[in-house]
Amino acid sequence: MLKRSEDEDGPGRGPHDLRDASTCQDVLSLSISSTAGYPVGGTEMAPSVQYHCACLSSSPAPPPPHLPSSSSSFHPLHTLFFCEECDAVRCNRCVAVEVSTYYCPNCLFEVPSASVRAEKNRCARNCFMCPNCRNTLSVVPSDPPENSDGRLTVPISAVGEPPFFLYCNHCRWDSAEVGITFEKPTGLAAQLQKFEDSAPDSLEFDRLKEHFEPFIPAASAALARDIPGVSKYNPSQGDEMTEYRSRVDIATASRMGTGGGDADVEYMRHLETVSEVASLNQRWTSSWATSFQARDLKPLRIPLHSKRSKRCPACTHILIKPEQKAQSVRYKIKLVAANYLPAITVTLPHAQQAQAEAARRSLGKSTAAAPEDDRGGSGVGMHAGKTYPFHLALTNPLYDPIQVRLSVQRMHVSTATTTSADGSATEKARRPPFAVSLPTSSFPIAAFAEAWEYEDDEDMFGVDDDEVGAGRGGREKDGRGKVKTVGVLEKRANVTVVGGEVVIGKEARGAVKFNMLVSYTYRSDDPAPSEGNDGSPTKSTKPPEIKTFAFYTVVDLGLIIPREDVRLDSES
Amino acid sequence: MAPIRDKFTIHSKAIVCQDVELKGDITIGSGTIVHPKATIFAIAGPIVIGSSCIIEEGAIIVNRRKEVMRIGDDNLFEIGCRIESPTVGDFNTISTRARVHHTVRIGSYCVVGAGCLLVPTEDEILDDYTVVYGPAAERRKWSGRGKVQEADLRRKHAEYLREMLPKFNRLRRGDGT
Ligand SMILES: [Zn+2]
Ligand SMILES: [Zn+2]
Ligand SMILES: [Zn+2]
Ligand SMILES: [Zn+2]
Repeated sequence: MLKRSEDEDGPGRGPHDLRDASTCQDVLSLSISSTAGYPVGGTEMAPSVQYHCACLSSSPAPPPPHLPSSSSSFHPLHTLFFCEECDAVRCNRCVAVEVSTYYCPNCLFEVPSASVRAEKNRCARNCFMCPNCRNTLSVVPSDPPENSDGRLTVPISAVGEPPFFLYCNHCRWDSAEVGITFEKPTGLAAQLQKFEDSAPDSLEFDRLKEHFEPFIPAASAALARDIPGVSKYNPSQGDEMTEYRSRVDIATASRMGTGGGDADVEYMRHLETVSEVASLNQRWTSSWATSFQARDLKPLRIPLHSKRSKRCPACTHILIKPEQKAQSVRYKIKLVAANYLPAITVTLPHAQQAQAEAARRSLGKSTAAAPEDDRGGSGVGMHAGKTYPFHLALTNPLYDPIQVRLSVQRMHVSTATTTSADGSATEKARRPPFAVSLPTSSFPIAAFAEAWEYEDDEDMFGVDDDEVGAGRGGREKDGRGKVKTVGVLEKRANVTVVGGEVVIGKEARGAVKFNMLVSYTYRSDDPAPSEGNDGSPTKSTKPPEIKTFAFYTVVDLGLIIPREDVRLDSES
Repeated sequence: MAPIRDKFTIHSKAIVCQDVELKGDITIGSGTIVHPKATIFAIAGPIVIGSSCIIEEGAIIVNRRKEVMRIGDDNLFEIGCRIESPTVGDFNTISTRARVHHTVRIGSYCVVGAGCLLVPTEDEILDDYTVVYGPAAERRKWSGRGKVQEADLRRKHAEYLREMLPKFNRLRRGDGT
């Protein structure tokens, strides 16, 4: 399949810079990746387009969008990969993940995997996190002793003296508050780890490990090597398991005040201010259950991050592979879907116009006015029984022009709602709540070109001056009837904007959400499957000049404001 | 309201850049540095700023009250902060984009973190060593450990600016000179 080559990224780089950044984020950050980029259900107001990955369904068609479970089949474009071998979209759910480097996000030290376990997945150099606010701590010497008169004398170029302690520049927490100081400013992590390792939970865990060691011979090795190997585990060998005796019995542990026992209850009874209790946020970053008294919080060694490679689940070809060095944000292999599929963004002109007006109104006000005020403003929602235009902007990432055809996936509303327990709801929903019109004929999108390849600005930005959403909406309003709402509205550079329309039923409620099939034809540059050295033949051996690729998306235009609510609004 | 009478008293050792907005009765002490694009508005009462303070770009200091707004020594007002407190002690840091209402009086060695809003409706006093931080403007008490080093750093910061700013900016002088 035709794709943009990575090597051609010149010094200025193209408009896909942003996309690069977002995929980096996804691959680089271990802890954030699972939530970043996914709009939280219900709170995200802006209309969105997400792309389908077929890994969860047996058919290539996606599940109906009104089923809540469908959300796990759709993903933002920047989180998806594209396997050239299979000619298919892959998502983070179906790819196979391998860790290629562990590193500390603070000092960028690459930690050899052998040390990762011994150092308990945290940086063993001088990187610490504030247990109070999670900022990075710095090692500072103590102040020289204060003068007897109490006035602050500032010696020029003050040289600090031991003891050293860890200090948070943000919330001014310091480790001396919890009695942790150091005679030398080096090797602090080792000292802290000794501390961690002597925690009762840690000792108990070590003992447990020791206890189970004989029963899992080689199982952990097999597990690490190959997941299917786990099934080979034969439990009959280890049936003579001795009874485990804990280091500390539960009653003693609870008396120590970590396990929610009487000691903790007693402590809570005598609480004076809430800040005496460490918040959940402050406690769950530590490896072991800790006391929930804020004054017991210990500095934390910074958890390691990893860089990961991902493989296609079907053909095991690598889809993304970062460069080994922690400092590098480049990739050796990067087959992201954004380089193959057109990017689609959806906008509602009427909502944009309302927002622009609200922004103009709030501009005069003081900066204190919260932007949240505009949320749910009168113009933004879609009312039942009305018709709204919407715009789809499609951006071509390929170096060749493409021809795109859009179609709405038919919804089997009747079958979908029979499962509904509520009788009246079923009856209401039998009529489709809304009808979507899209351009029926195919339309072209010009090839991607680097910014400097355009002769002048007009080529790049188009001749229309309606770049701003408000302007575009305005045009719609003035010339209703004259200006077409369904069809190609605008072409500039490698972006084509098409208009669609949604007619919302009188009794409709819920979200305007529909599956859209996008198919596009492109000129194939590699006629013979010369790259397929693994012997798998591609579909056609004859060199076809034109190929077609199709994929599903879900378009979410937002919630319908039902009739009843409108009445209530107007009464109040 | 009567029109504001401008009266600027700037110590000869203060560094006040030409491109600052001053309005009303303002006194700026020795060694204090006012970056370009800073704003000091004595709308109602006068503003008196002590010595060796640093007021960065876009910082806004406003006195809405009739009484004198007194700012002590060695305070740091970072970029884009806005402060209307009637009194400010010494060695405080008001971080970037923080906002402090006229209902808050600030002691000494306090830190108002980046972007924190301190806008209570009732009058209150920030005790010495109060730290306000984080998106929820949480508060805690600083032990004061490390303050000598921080003060030392503040002095060096000011010293550097006193040397560098006049090389690239025209300075404002007080009415007296
Ligand atoms: Zn998938
Ligand atoms: Zn580190
Ligand atoms: Zn902190
Ligand atoms: Zn594949």
